[in-house]
Amino acid sequence: MPSETTSMALREVTAEPEFSLWQRIIGLTRRSPTAAVGLGIILFFGMLALMAQYLMPHEPELVYAERVLHPPSSEHLFGTDGNGMDIFSRVIYGARFGFGIAIPAVVLALVIGIPVGLWTGYRGGMVDEALMRFFDGLRVFPSIILALAVVAATGQSLINVVIVLGVLDSPVFARVVRSEVLALRSSVFVESAIAAGNPTWRILFIHLLPNAIQGAMAQTAVRAAWAVRISATLAFLGIGIQAPTPEWGAMIRQGAEFMISGQWWVALFPGVALILLVLGLNMFGDGMQEILNPRSRAEK
Amino acid sequence: MTFTRFFLRRMMMVIPLLVGIVFGTFMLIRVGGLDPVGLLAGPTATAEEFDIIRAELGLDQPLWAQFGIYIGNVLQGDLGESWLSTRPVLDDMLDRVPVTLELLLWGVGIGAIIGIPIGLKAAFKPDGTFDHVSRFFSLFGFSIPTYWLGLMMLFVFFYLLRWAPPGIGRIGLMVSQPPEVTGTYLMDSLIAGDWTAFRSALSHLILPVTCIAVIAAAPIIKHTRAIAIEVISSDAVRYAKASGLPTLTVRRMVLRNAATPVLTFVGTELTGLVGTTSLIEYVFAWGGLGQYGLNAIINGDFTAVQGYVLFLALFSIFVFLIIDFVVFLIEPRAELQ
Repeated sequence: MPSETTSMALREVTAEPEFSLWQRIIGLTRRSPTAAVGLGIILFFGMLALMAQYLMPHEPELVYAERVLHPPSSEHLFGTDGNGMDIFSRVIYGARFGFGIAIPAVVLALVIGIPVGLWTGYRGGMVDEALMRFFDGLRVFPSIILALAVVAATGQSLINVVIVLGVLDSPVFARVVRSEVLALRSSVFVESAIAAGNPTWRILFIHLLPNAIQGAMAQTAVRAAWAVRISATLAFLGIGIQAPTPEWGAMIRQGAEFMISGQWWVALFPGVALILLVLGLNMFGDGMQEILNPRSRAEK
Repeated sequence: MTFTRFFLRRMMMVIPLLVGIVFGTFMLIRVGGLDPVGLLAGPTATAEEFDIIRAELGLDQPLWAQFGIYIGNVLQGDLGESWLSTRPVLDDMLDRVPVTLELLLWGVGIGAIIGIPIGLKAAFKPDGTFDHVSRFFSLFGFSIPTYWLGLMMLFVFFYLLRWAPPGIGRIGLMVSQPPEVTGTYLMDSLIAGDWTAFRSALSHLILPVTCIAVIAAAPIIKHTRAIAIEVISSDAVRYAKASGLPTLTVRRMVLRNAATPVLTFVGTELTGLVGTTSLIEYVFAWGGLGQYGLNAIINGDFTAVQGYVLFLALFSIFVFLIIDFVVFLIEPRAELQ
């Protein structure tokens, strides 16, 4: 299809028109309200994480021994937990763990997945075939269980949680990039880049990458949501992050025993925060996919 | 293609996958630099004792030889012994399979009964109010932590309303257990005609099943909607519409064409929700395979973890095979990909 290849070549040289940040936000809201709301939630929690020390009324790990399991009050908006720590402050501080695990995990997954996808898609052949079969094979393991088992086996530290989540997530990005590269491999701009004598790394990273990365970028928010969920699940089970740490999953674990004796606030608030952040990331991701691939929704 | 040929070809494709999976679970506890010898020998062991244990476990051999031993053991059904229960891991797991299947099948079944009609209704009117509400519900289901949902259910239905029993176990403490036939209390009490036990088992089942159903419904809604929209925009359905066939006839056509992919997806959900079910078992102290696996992971019982992960992988392959065969029987034109 000659018209398609020309337009693709054109896309490479035409610079994107400049928009101000404000125009971009309005544009996003119009194109996908879901994505805009999601972005709003993400920014809200990002602000909590960055400004935690100014927003917390109490120290997150300070024990008020005489105020164990106090219900929500004006002094402790979300009540206190079984150790007498202020839950409101701990929920705010917990945002740091959400981002602190999800961002490096997704970055790691991109750093591994993108080159693998570029290379296998460009070269094809045995390595490509073997790797894709390997990724298929990984699918038969339930992702939560696999992540739990590997973290437990490799030693329980925060850095291990990040590495395991990043590695387990990288096939997603490799796959998306690979399929884009497959479609672009024989297009005119790639062939002319080869004819001009570019080394392979230049073809991969300078010519193919900018055209093949869109799908992967649209996946990042959803994968970040996955990372936040799994890391909280690990903490809930007491793997990786241990109890007095103000991480949401660990806080829900602390509150679990109080649910059947009626102290609902200990587990409720960290859970709500966790749901909101994951929901925000999922909404943003869902909306971005909708914008990038309008065919996936609303075909009348 | 006849069914036998399809069956044989499909089985051939599974073999390399099986070898890969066994290798994966074999490597699982070896990537970690954890020393099972140290665990078994204890802190006071001498160097000779270490060597003896190492030789007993076959760990003095090269890695490929160890893998050979492991494959041999797995083929004989020997998954090693759990140090938590001091029983063979396979026996431990087989005892618990029906207990978990009971939760999983009810959960996914009810999730499908809720999710499929919602997905279809959303697809018939994309971008309508119902579509937006169902999309939000589905996103919510994707985002809610399973275990937290279970805890909230316990609070509302046990602590506040006293409708449900406390989330411990599968049957009331005061209720005598029905004689074991299937291994699930619900079925066994029915078979024995023991209504007290049946009521107790049912009341223990409702909350965890509801949790799994809510989580299961989310992806089912999303995929049913996507599949139905694809069918609706197919040439055949558009032609039917353009010919002026009544809406009901067109919809029936959509249903018939969407049925196979939707049911296939629900089938794959059985494997996708194993993790969710494990967490629900953990919260409700259900005592099934999922709780066993999580406890093994938490307590570092690596033989059991290895067996559990292998078991889950085999379960996934088994489910995928069954789905393929069923689809082949329904639609013989569906070829191997």
